[in-house]
Amino acid sequence: MSGIEEKDGGGISAMPSRRTVLALGAAAASTVVTIRPALAQTAGSVLNCEIPVPGPHAGGQYISAEGSLVSPGTPGAAPPLSRPLTGEEVKALLNSGATPPGVSPQSAQAYANYIRRLQAGMSGFTCYASLQMPR
Amino acid sequence: MKHQLSLRIGTVAFRIGSAWSAPIEALRQLYRDYPEPEDGLCDFTVRLEPENFLRRWIRPSVAIQGDYILPDAAPLSLAHGLLAAEMGMNLQMALGQKRFLLLHASTVEKDGRALIMTGESGAGKSTLAALLGERGWRLMGDEFALLDLDSGRLWPFPRAISLKNGAIRVMEEEVERDRFGPRLTGTPKGEIRHMRPNRRAVEAMDKSAVPALILFPRFGEAQGLRAVGQAEVFMRLTQASTNYVSLGRPAFDALTKLVGDHPAIAVDYPDTEGALAQVETLWGELAA
Amino acid sequence: MSQPRYVADPDGEVRTVQLDGLALLFHRPSGMTHIVAPPAPQILEALRLGPADIGELLGRLRAWYDFEVDEDMEALEARVAELEAAGLVARL
Repeated sequence: MSGIEEKDGGGISAMPSRRTVLALGAAAASTVVTIRPALAQTAGSVLNCEIPVPGPHAGGQYISAEGSLVSPGTPGAAPPLSRPLTGEEVKALLNSGATPPGVSPQSAQAYANYIRRLQAGMSGFTCYASLQMPR
Repeated sequence: MKHQLSLRIGTVAFRIGSAWSAPIEALRQLYRDYPEPEDGLCDFTVRLEPENFLRRWIRPSVAIQGDYILPDAAPLSLAHGLLAAEMGMNLQMALGQKRFLLLHASTVEKDGRALIMTGESGAGKSTLAALLGERGWRLMGDEFALLDLDSGRLWPFPRAISLKNGAIRVMEEEVERDRFGPRLTGTPKGEIRHMRPNRRAVEAMDKSAVPALILFPRFGEAQGLRAVGQAEVFMRLTQASTNYVSLGRPAFDALTKLVGDHPAIAVDYPDTEGALAQVETLWGELAA
Repeated sequence: MSQPRYVADPDGEVRTVQLDGLALLFHRPSGMTHIVAPPAPQILEALRLGPADIGELLGRLRAWYDFEVDEDMEALEARVAELEAAGLVARL
């Protein structure tokens, strides 16, 4: 019943009969998928999380429309949020553009872009990664 | 810490400490009849701590601490302290378990063979497992399946089942009142109620089983069945595992063997009773 | 300017399991697992014979296989680039 053909250290388990057709695929195709560490599926059971917008490193800076940190009072920039967004609020914001209470659509867009640009090591990144949002 | 409880669940022993007594008392009730850790030795520690000094007393706010923690975790209110303890235990397993390959799945056993159900949260695997556990199957766990890297057997981890929203009502109709924890409303995931596994599950917490069938149930879809290709099963199981990558070669061998030796079916279902019947049929055809 | 030459790890460094038409590879040096579709396993097999540039690699594959269409180097380069990004192939 086993579907496995195994060969330690080998590539294909048996040389195919001569003159098998091999397709090299289109230049843009993908034939290699690497398994990455995953917390996302378990996240609901282990993480009740929130994302501060911006993180504590920002030191009072505002958030530009593209989601980067800029000095306060820069035209068009959104002010720091007074409380972190919950995982649910972030999901709604990124999925359907649902703005958190008291936030203008323009600011919401800036916050969404800030979150999308979070990198590992930044406050809120684990939360963002656990939401399984495509970048 | 001021208040403490030590608990053994299958092969894993926890010590849970808390600044407040209420969560510990709720745990003690929920896990009544569970064994003590052997020799008092615990594998993991969970601590429920005040978010800051004032929050110990004023609008008490529970931060989940322990051997393993996650950054960005939001604190919970004291009313949800039991939930915090359960999440804390999940977290220790998810980040710290090294002896077994951990799969985010529910498992039930019949005649020494195990059914593994895995999928996204809300797909229904916990409810199905809880119901099967009351209908002739032995519940091994609803959250984590523990795959032994050497033997390929599955080991039980019969934690209290975390029921959400509609599933609470379903189980309240099946199961006696004293197996339930408090009803927790307004949690980040809606309404939650914990349910202790039945006596059969608790008494068999040291009995492993051979895997026999893998299902990917999905609730809320029109009825459908599909055999899932092995490479896809492998991929999805790695996504359902928190420690696959860190365990290296033994995990690769154990998981390829699991996937290669056993069939996997995706089951879409619009109603729970129909799903249960479907599970029994598939088991009869493929695993019994 | 000469073409880059590529190498793959020797036999003993990669454990391969076939599952329904795809190959699962455990790469010992990195501890990483990859799921690969043809022609990736065939390219790795060909590179295990010894270092090769894209042209030489194409020649080795032509010796074993027919190609459906006149395969150009661009497609093979793309496949090798994927394997390089995954750490299964390295440039000399």
